[in-house]
This record gives sequence, structure tokens and C-alpha cells, in this order.
Amino acid sequence: MALWTRRGLAGATAALGLSALPHRPARAQGKSITVTALGGIWEEAVRTCFAQPYEKATGNRAQVLIGSPTQWLAQIEANPARPPIDALVTIPDLAIAAVQKGLVERFTVEKTPNLVHTPEEFIAPLDGHGVLFDYGVAGFTFHKGRVKQPPKSFAEFVERTAKGEWQASLPGIGYAVTPIMLIWAMAKALGGGVDNVDPFFEAVRKMGRNVSFWNSPNDFENALASGDADIGIYFDGRTWAWSDSGASFAGFLNPSEGGSINAIAIQKPKNASEEAWPYLDIMLSAEAQLAFAKKLNYGVTNRLVVYPPGLAERITPWQQAAFPPYAEIAAKRAAWVDRWNREIRR
Amino acid sequence: MRRADPALWLLRAVVALFILFMLAPILVVVALSFTSAGYVVFPLPGLSLRWFARMLDYAPFLQGLRVSLQVALGATLLSVLLGVPASLALARSHHPAALAAMTFLLSPLSMPMIVFGFAALFFLSRIGLGLSLPALLVAHGCVCLPYVVRVTAAAYRGLPPALEEAAEVLGASRAAVLRHVVLPLLRPAIAAGSLFSFLVSFDNLPLSFFFGSPGTNTLPVVMLSYVEQQFDPAIAAISTAQLAVAVLLLVLADRFYGLGRLVGQEGGG
Amino acid sequence: MRRLLPLAPALLFLAGFFVLPMLDIVGRSITAADGSLTLARYALLFGDAFYLRAMAETLALSAGVTLLCVLAGYPVAYYLVRHAGRWRGVILFTLVAPLLTSIIMRTFGWQVLFARRGPVNLLLEGLGLVEAPIRFTGSLGIAIAALVHVLLPFMVLSITPVLQSIDRRLEEAAAILGAGRFRAFLEVTLPLSWEGILTGCILVFMVANGSFVTLLLLGGGLQTLPLLIYQQFNTTRDFGMVSAMSTVLLLLALACLALQLRLVRKGG
Repeated sequence: MALWTRRGLAGATAALGLSALPHRPARAQGKSITVTALGGIWEEAVRTCFAQPYEKATGNRAQVLIGSPTQWLAQIEANPARPPIDALVTIPDLAIAAVQKGLVERFTVEKTPNLVHTPEEFIAPLDGHGVLFDYGVAGFTFHKGRVKQPPKSFAEFVERTAKGEWQASLPGIGYAVTPIMLIWAMAKALGGGVDNVDPFFEAVRKMGRNVSFWNSPNDFENALASGDADIGIYFDGRTWAWSDSGASFAGFLNPSEGGSINAIAIQKPKNASEEAWPYLDIMLSAEAQLAFAKKLNYGVTNRLVVYPPGLAERITPWQQAAFPPYAEIAAKRAAWVDRWNREIRR
Repeated sequence: MRRADPALWLLRAVVALFILFMLAPILVVVALSFTSAGYVVFPLPGLSLRWFARMLDYAPFLQGLRVSLQVALGATLLSVLLGVPASLALARSHHPAALAAMTFLLSPLSMPMIVFGFAALFFLSRIGLGLSLPALLVAHGCVCLPYVVRVTAAAYRGLPPALEEAAEVLGASRAAVLRHVVLPLLRPAIAAGSLFSFLVSFDNLPLSFFFGSPGTNTLPVVMLSYVEQQFDPAIAAISTAQLAVAVLLLVLADRFYGLGRLVGQEGGG
Repeated sequence: MRRLLPLAPALLFLAGFFVLPMLDIVGRSITAADGSLTLARYALLFGDAFYLRAMAETLALSAGVTLLCVLAGYPVAYYLVRHAGRWRGVILFTLVAPLLTSIIMRTFGWQVLFARRGPVNLLLEGLGLVEAPIRFTGSLGIAIAALVHVLLPFMVLSITPVLQSIDRRLEEAAAILGAGRFRAFLEVTLPLSWEGILTGCILVFMVANGSFVTLLLLGGGLQTLPLLIYQQFNTTRDFGMVSAMSTVLLLLALACLALQLRLVRKGG
């Protein structure tokens, strides 16, 4: 026992000794900001397209924090006077929550001159307290070998799924943006809308066991690759990236009614470093956004961006997709989730 | 006893099934880490080591591993220091208050950790710990403590009190009894509790998630964030590497210490 | 009193870092949007068959998983302590392996094994047991298997230290006295390992009761309280409901725990 403890103690203190160094550079010196990124290729794109140009232009340092928007909003909320994050990327739902809680600042042309190149549609949803800077469209992702003639519309998709032409996989209620990318988008396409999602629930009932649900994006890719599903509702950018990594059987199609726009917002927390503004301005610039789009195959919102051939065919222009009324959906979300739990029970 | 014995053969069959059950899904993961494909697919189209290269190449993985090891070791140490004395004090008492205290010490287990993480983030931020390594240690400590307490208490209750009484009658001080009699006998339990504690902390996502900052992101947080955007076999390579380290540690522990002293006294050690 | 002194640090630690944050949660659960006190959320939870069913499903799942873990775990623990020999290292490895494999990959492993064209279906077809592949994915059985998989190590390693401290001479004495080996096991070894079995049950039950990731990723059609909590957290962001459901879950778990600990006192 004594031996055991002593050894463990020595090892543990050695490991902890490493951590005695300060972990957050003192912000008082003002020259280092913390910015956020989703992981993997997303993070690498943030480093090369935004953080590096920022460091070059300002001489400041941009530390990239990977993680997820739920975590960051909670962290800012818990530390409103000294937010641990200076420039935030987040999903519209959480961005709206941050605005409602008064946690974020308004963007102005003085602080971020590139704002003038962003269409009003991407500024209005957050009332200027943040900007939607890139987006993916949720449409049909299918296995080209098993689905020779993909459906052209949501209506056709529902009908042919109900007939059992294929096994479909749809986003489940455990996935944060399902209320937008599935419930609202399908209800609207089938004649309903924010105030009437009956068509969606009716469609799910009709499709019955020919539908399964995924609760994490990896599940969907697994299901399509393993043969457990043939088609589903998924994002364009991720489908292209997946296809480029070797899953060449994956195809994507934007439904004729328009798939939903799933945007990413940028925000600046109140009391965060003012040094974040030049960074956010770079995120809104045409040059940085084009570089970002090339890496991730997602559409960007600066209207000066011209996609090169190849990329242009992949990106769905936002005008051809369905623009969700984010705030109205946020108000109905709880009721929809409750109804799903009681009616669909999966 | 060890000749052809139907009961023993039945037991062996159960254990063989157990090993198959435990390892089958993990073997899938290990196999996947050697794939040559650029995405996750089974069966493997070919073999390569490219995902191990990717694992070493993506800096956040290694940074996350360092933080995870620090937190897991620190939280384990903390829970042993707090938990072993507490379980010795409680284990043999029949007082209702002891029952209540034991219930209390085990209660963190039952919270979905996402809720405790959320609550702890707000609380620790309010008292100034914020997103720091100490905050992570404290939060993990709360969750690791019950394992050490419960496993140690169970083993202590199993020890015949006569042993300690005899030593005390012979004039040994309480401290000497603890050091020379009780703690050596409790070694397997403390080891098991520490192992639980280490693994639970090392694998923890929902607590660490809330305390992530550029300096305190643990490996599971980095991995989750990675696969959410890029589901490739690099994550399988990480699991395989962790398993390889575990094998190595087990071999070393057996060599220098004897696994028998940890999980059974016969035939080994 | 002096014997209770060693208890103080652990109690103070949890009181400071677990109870205080959880009081926050309880506070949120009884505070209405306008800041006034309300019990409406609890009225909803206990007045709505949907939530009552969720509570029942949570407890039933945890109890079922615990039972399976005892049945599978005890023989393994017994073997590990008494007969493992050279296999000890292998068994120990199988026990730590699940927790060293990221949950994302573990889930993936189960999905591959039970895919429409996965090894299990191929085997069943090869043996002529089924004609068409069975759709396992999304079934409750897989979710339970995955939960047992990751919780079994806690059961086994809770039982081993206790089994090990049992004086084997007791068993041998019983055998010599003509009890027969099986009866000696039933009447001596098993009762003496009660403490370890209960420890394992407590750990497995409590952890199963608070877990949701496996059900979220593998499906299974259950709507447990932790799953609903996660959903509220992630999608609806209704922290009042998150807090109320968490408080109820904590109370349910503590009630079960107190019950189990009473059993210890009786059995021991």
C-alpha cells in the first residue's frame, strides 16, 4: 500500500506540476483573444482562413477554442463580466438566446466595415447582435448506387418512402437543429408552416417503419455506408466533404420546395476584448469567406464572393433554399419536441 | 480440484463468452483504425497506418491527452485522499447517521453529469474558479469520490475486526494498526477504486465539456468536437493507441508488481 | 467522535462542490420565468402520465441492466479471483477496455456488429437460423447490451476485492463437513460476497440511472428521464424543466440507494 501510494503520488504530482503554468494568458495585456471553432476540418479552416490573417494584420494572438456552441453559451452566461470567449461561432437558436439574455454586442459598420457586404437577410434574424456568416442546406443525401432516381421534392420523398422504395434516415429529436431542418422544413414543404406542423407529423406516420432516426451526424453516415439506410436528410457541405474523403457513392440534392438554411452565426460577447472586432471583420470579408467555403464546401454570406467552377455547382444559393424564421421557430420548439415525444416516441 | 470438473468447465465457458462479448465491439474499432479508407466504412477496403499519423498530426489531440491525464490522476489522488479515510470511518457503523452519510457520499453518481456539469460551471465561476484546471479537478473529484468510497467500504466491512483488535491488544497504536494491518489488506480495494476513478475521469465528456478552454480541453471534448464535423477513423486510432498503452501498463504491472496482488492472491504475484 | 473526524474532509468537499451547485438546480426548478416561486413543473411531472411513464422506464431499465450485470459479473469475478491464473491479465484488459474506447467508437462497434450486413446477421444466416437479415439497429436489445458492456467492469471489480478477502478455509471447512462443493459455495461464499455484489449493484444502478448517451446514439425506443433531460438541455433549452427533472431523478436515485444500503445492513 505504502509503495503503491508513494508511486501514485509521485506520478500524479509530476503530472500536475506541468499544469502549474498559467493556462489563460492574462487578458489585461489585451493582445490575445480567444475565438471558437467546431472541431476537425472546421477548426483547421478557422486557423488558416481567419486566425492567421488576423494575427498577421494586428500582431495580436488568436487562440482557437474547439468545442460546441452549447458549451460556449453556458460559459459566457456563467461569466458575464469576464467572458472567457471574445469571438463566438454558434447556431442561430443559441445566438437568439444570447441576444435575448443581453449577452452580446451589436455589430456596426464602424467596427466591422465588411458588414456592408452582408445581405440584410443574414443580419436581421439577430437584430444586428451577430451575423450569419455561412450556411449549409439540409436536403436529400442518398446512395447513388441504391437510389438511382432520387426524389425531387419533399412530397415525392414522403410518398416513395411510404411505399417502401428505400429505407430512409431522418434527423432525430436528440439532434439540436431537427426542429428547423426537419419539422419546420418538411411541414412548410407539405403545405404547413410555423403555425401548422400537422403535415410533418402526418408524413412521419405515413412513412412508418421505413424511416429511422439519427441523433448524431456520424450515425447517418454509418447507416448509409453500411446499408442500414439508402437516403436521408442531411447537409450539403458535409455530404461533399464525405464524398471527397472516399464515400463517392454519396449524392446530394436540394428539394424543389427548398431545403432549410442552417446557418452559423458570429457574435461578440459583452465585456469581451475589443480586439475581437478586427477578427470578426475578417470573418465577414469576401476573401476569408471564399477561402473558408473552398475548405468546407459550405455557402458563405458576403455577396462579393464568387465561387470558382466546381465549388459553384456544389453550393446551393441561399435564394433557392428555405430561410427559416428562426425566432418564431424558437418560440414553438418546446411544443414540437413535446408532441414528437408523445406521438413518434422514437 | 483442478481435474476435469464440470462446474469449472461451465465457469470457463461463461468467462469465454464474457471475453467475446466485451471484446467484439472493441475489435471492430481496433480493426477500423488500420483502414486505408478516408472515411468510416466496414469491411475495410485495405490496410494502412495513415490514421495513426493523423492522430499524431492533429495537435489538439495530444494537448487534450495531456489535460486528460492530469485531470484523471489528480482527481483519483483527490478521491483516494478524501475517500479512504471516510470509508474507514463509516463502513462498520450501524448508526442511521452513518447510513445517511454513505448515501450522501454516493449521491453524485446518480446525476446525469450534463446537469451537474452545468450547475458546477455556474457555481465555480461565481466563486472565481471559472474555466481552470482546479475547477475541472474539483468537478471530477465529486464524481470519482463515490467509487473509491464504496469499493473501499465494502472490502473493509469484509475484513474480520478481530485482526485489528488483536493488534491493538498487542499495544499497537491506531495509526500503526491502520498502516500495518488495515491498509495492506485493503490494497486491492483501493486499487480497484482508483482504477474506476481514473477511467471514469479519463472517459468523462459531459463534465469536462463545460470547462473547456484553450488550456483545459480534455481529450473526449476534443474528440467529440472532431467527429461532429469530420467523422473519420482518426478517433478509432486514438482508442487503439489507448488500448495499447493499457496492455503495456498491465504487462508492466504484472512484471514488477504482480496482478495477483491486485485481484486475487492465489497462483500469482 | 474522533473516529468520525476522517469523515469530515469528504463530507465538506461534497457539501461545497456538489450540494451547493445542486441547490442552484433545485432553486431553478421552483423559480418561474418572472422570478416568483412555483411548483408547476413538479405538478406537471407527477400529474402527466407521459412523465410518470418516463420515470418508470428509467427505473426499469436501470434495474434490468443491474440484474444482467450481476448474473454475468459474478461468475467472472469468481473466476478472476479463484481460477484465472495466466488469464488474469486478459480478463483485466477486457475490463478496462470499454472505458478506454471512446463512446462514439464503442457505439460504432455495436452498429457494425449488428448491421443489416454485419457479422451477426451473416452468422445467423450461415447457420440457417434466419432467412432475411434481422433489423437489430435501433432495437432495445442492442442498447441494453451496450449499457451492460460498459457497466459490467464496475460490477466485476466491485465483487473481486470482497471475494478475495473471504477466508477460503471457511469454504473448505464446509466442504469437509460434507456440505458438497456447490452447497458450500451457496451457503458460505455467496453470502460472504453479498457486500461486493451490493456495491456493484449500487454503482451500476446509479450510473445507469443517470446515463443517456448510449440510448441517444443506439436508440431502443425508451424515453428515460436522463434522455428527456438531455433533450430539454440541448434542443428546448428549458432549464427550469431540466432542473425539475434532475431533482426528481436525484430523489428517485437516492431513495433506491437508501433502500439498497438498508439491504446491506440486513444482509451483512
